Amino acid sequence: MDSGRNNSRSDQISRRHLLRSAAVLGAGAFVGGAPLTARAAAPPTLVTSIRSLSNPYHAVWKIGAEAFAKSVGLQHVTLVTEANSEKGISDIRAMIAKTGGDMVLNVDPNNTPDARPIVEACHKAKVYVVTWWNKPADLHPWDFNPYYISHIEFDGVTNGGYITEELFKAMGDDGGFVALGGMISDSAAIDRRKGMMDALKKHPKVQLLDFQTADWQSQKAFDVTSSWLTRFGDKIKGVWAANDDMGVGALEALRAQGLAGKVPVVGIDGIKAAVEAVKAGEFVCTVTSDPYWQGGIGLSMALEALQGKFDPAKEPKIHREFNARTVKITRDNVEEYIKTQVDSHPTIDWTDLWSRVASPIVYG
Amino acid sequence: MTSTWLSPRAGPAAGSAAPKWRALAPSRFGAIGLAELAPLLVLVGLCVALGLLNPSFFSFRNLVWGVANSAAIPLILAMGATFIILMGSIDLSIEGALSVGTMIVALLCANDSNANNFGWWGPLLALIACTALGLANGLVHVVLRIPSFMATLGVWFVGLGIGTVALGGSEIRVLDRTIRSIAFERVLAFPLAVWIAAAMFFFALFLERKTRFGRYIYAIGGGEDIAALSGVPVKRTRILAFALAGFFNGVAAVLAAAQLGQANTTIANGRLFMTVTAVVVGGTSLSGGWGGIANSLIGVLIVAVLANGMVLLGISPYVHETVQGLMIIAAVALSVRRGRSLIVK
Repeated sequence: MDSGRNNSRSDQISRRHLLRSAAVLGAGAFVGGAPLTARAAAPPTLVTSIRSLSNPYHAVWKIGAEAFAKSVGLQHVTLVTEANSEKGISDIRAMIAKTGGDMVLNVDPNNTPDARPIVEACHKAKVYVVTWWNKPADLHPWDFNPYYISHIEFDGVTNGGYITEELFKAMGDDGGFVALGGMISDSAAIDRRKGMMDALKKHPKVQLLDFQTADWQSQKAFDVTSSWLTRFGDKIKGVWAANDDMGVGALEALRAQGLAGKVPVVGIDGIKAAVEAVKAGEFVCTVTSDPYWQGGIGLSMALEALQGKFDPAKEPKIHREFNARTVKITRDNVEEYIKTQVDSHPTIDWTDLWSRVASPIVYG
Repeated sequence: MTSTWLSPRAGPAAGSAAPKWRALAPSRFGAIGLAELAPLLVLVGLCVALGLLNPSFFSFRNLVWGVANSAAIPLILAMGATFIILMGSIDLSIEGALSVGTMIVALLCANDSNANNFGWWGPLLALIACTALGLANGLVHVVLRIPSFMATLGVWFVGLGIGTVALGGSEIRVLDRTIRSIAFERVLAFPLAVWIAAAMFFFALFLERKTRFGRYIYAIGGGEDIAALSGVPVKRTRILAFALAGFFNGVAAVLAAAQLGQANTTIANGRLFMTVTAVVVGGTSLSGGWGGIANSLIGVLIVAVLANGMVLLGISPYVHETVQGLMIIAAVALSVRRGRSLIVK
């Protein structure tokens, strides 16, 4: 089938699905366990549930999911929670009812507690599911064999530490720097900051001049950095940002005062502006969890399990709950990264399910 | 008639009883009430305290970059919001309009997403689009008789939706050097953004003080039924005020795109709350009819100085919000006109 037509068709269908799912919202909860008819006959639907389509991270996630769907020739549906847990959970239940359980799910739960009802609904309906980022510490994939395949996160402490080390290297391991944190109560913000503080202890000559939060936003980071420049002036030898959006805001504040490229900046996420800044020598590095890969690999795991290519129950625990490897973008690989990841979409071997397993998730 | 720079009054031309009564009220004490000067006193007090705690507050560099430049966009947004709040209405669409405006600027100028390079057409169209969104606010509000709260809430989400569709959730970088220069070009040591904000302030002040439109706004805010009976074209003024607010949002959007060098759907997060806070802290009453453009300037400066001060003093981010909240309550408590209204809602 010609792929263009295929795409437009699945678009239509997904829109219809969404409309219909709104209608069966209430019913969803009750039909979740309905008999699963014609499972073998009809091809399964690939379902992605993410927070929104208006942030770059999840937008790329969806592109990756669609690329995978195209590669296996199956229909793909994206559900959006709009940061509303209730909506996220009921949309998934409605989709299970709609497909009669003939689907697989790759989900970034809106909030930590959401993972449990989602996984329970999937388990009941025999739907294979992969979760990302958020789940309660006592909810484990192996308690829902075989349908809850994996839970995957990225280790914020390690990433926070890594960009700190890179920043210090650029600063010549000496002098003062300022740090922009994310939303105070956010677990990613807490972890990344911890990684930074841990790394700082190993470098006695580097001094943290001030730590402020800018709620992940570039505009706030811009204002805070402007004020820092008057408070510390030339003492600022580097800027640490817990995400790229804030890092870019800080960079623009530096640029306004003719300091872009002179004061190194680091961030996390790998957004386009940051990658370009790495290329221009204004950012030292950034780290990305590779949402394109996240969007596809979760669906691939679930589909392969459904097709009986592997049995999740027999996988080691490190495959069921793990921190995945991130992609580091520095001056050395930025040209290559832009060529393969920004200008075009990467070719990923979707059957290589466990190649990015990095470390077990530690709860504490 | 007692008139101070800080407490504009509707002139006799407004022909409305309410503003006149308010205009006369302070003169009963033969002096300007403390309440009217409170925002200014809070601002001066804040500045003095900050200067004492950290002398670098008064350094030229800080006043330009830490305060004036940070206050530029909030000030422009506050100008539009002041007219709306003076009428006793509210404009919640600020973030949606900013999202649309920055998107148009970014998509039409040299950017990293398409091959467009229309230079100044981008900012111009952004202004037109934002004004149109404001006009839509006004029309929905007046013609369909929907409370401004709901009408502008709707337009807010429409704006965000347009931004989401057009940007596909990604961020787009502004590569056009001339557009970026709006934020960074310096004229007499101040960035151009500050001059634009100043120009917008005087434009708004002119509208408020010297035009019939400005007086109508006070008349409507003071008592809409009376204003209507006195022949004030209430509907037309309301629609015009919303369109005007849209225009100011457009100017702010152009500046935001220039300052951050990018457009994304969430670029304006938090702007609405900050704007309304600044207007209210400046002493403009949410119930309408009282306050003005000059008050909003003070309010914006209070908010900007406060944010600047937090960083200058190195106050832990863990207590930021608490300190900010306390300062806002203090500023409003000082400027509220007790005894003027019998009911506090």
